[in-house]
Amino acid sequence: MRLRFQRRRAVAVAVTAALALTLASAAGAGSYIYWWQRNMTPSDRGTDSLTARNHIYNELYFGPNAGWKSEVWEVTPAGYRHFDKWCAGNCFNAHPGYYYTYAYCANRDGSTHFVYECKDQW
Amino acid sequence: MQLGAAALAAAATAGLLTQIGRGGSDKVQIGNGSVSALAQAARPADSLPQSVLDYPFAERNFASANGGGSRLLQVQGSLRLYGVPGREGMLCLVEVDTAAETAGGACADRSVLRTGSIYMADRREDGSRLVVGLVGDGHTYGEANGRRATVENNSFVLNHVDGGDFTVGSATASQHVDIGG
Repeated sequence: MRLRFQRRRAVAVAVTAALALTLASAAGAGSYIYWWQRNMTPSDRGTDSLTARNHIYNELYFGPNAGWKSEVWEVTPAGYRHFDKWCAGNCFNAHPGYYYTYAYCANRDGSTHFVYECKDQW
Repeated sequence: MQLGAAALAAAATAGLLTQIGRGGSDKVQIGNGSVSALAQAARPADSLPQSVLDYPFAERNFASANGGGSRLLQVQGSLRLYGVPGREGMLCLVEVDTAAETAGGACADRSVLRTGSIYMADRREDGSRLVVGLVGDGHTYGEANGRRATVENNSFVLNHVDGGDFTVGSATASQHVDIGG
């Protein structure tokens, strides 16, 4: 009888632990649109510099039929640049969360273009 | 008679100006933007990894949510390049590095392929760049820093690129692509 109770208790502890890990993982994940439907000159930089986060994704989206140069990159609070990708057109970069960084995006064409959004995830 | 000649000259000039205004580009054109690799029979390896389809990028850019029509263009070590039909006339290039656990993508209008490439250029820790590109039919090589990579299935890979540009071309013509940075 005592053995049965111990087994049930062990199962309950295991289920609770698994549930806690799942919820913690979901609570820690997030995403943010840091540039929203604006014209972007070549010198503009969209940035999510509110909080340094363990980023795993960064994207620039001009919209459909895009063909202009773009860049997405990340910078640590200490100023080190990582995950720097230049593209022709809409662009994304996904990677493991190695560093706490701020996310950036830019239109790198020679003239101003409408950018629908830049988005990061962590 | 003189009035007719003047009218003809004016019409010709107006036509020329219209062409320039609409982007009558002086860039060298190769091919018509078609990508025959995307028309090849599908194989199981052509399917994009689910992780790529789960990114917000896929929903906004790919012609279908499941990446339908994608083709594995090239494999170099742990790097895989895919061509993917995009929305509203776009074509997409997707790179997946299974060892580095990274993925990236670029989507642009198909017309870009007439005068250049849909590319991605990743800055490495040593300051050089890995450049991967999708090119239209007719292109045979990509080149940077005097090193040339052969186009395979409409794609090329250039490792350790120093500087901000590369060239794509055929046996008879070449196009300069300015990456920037």
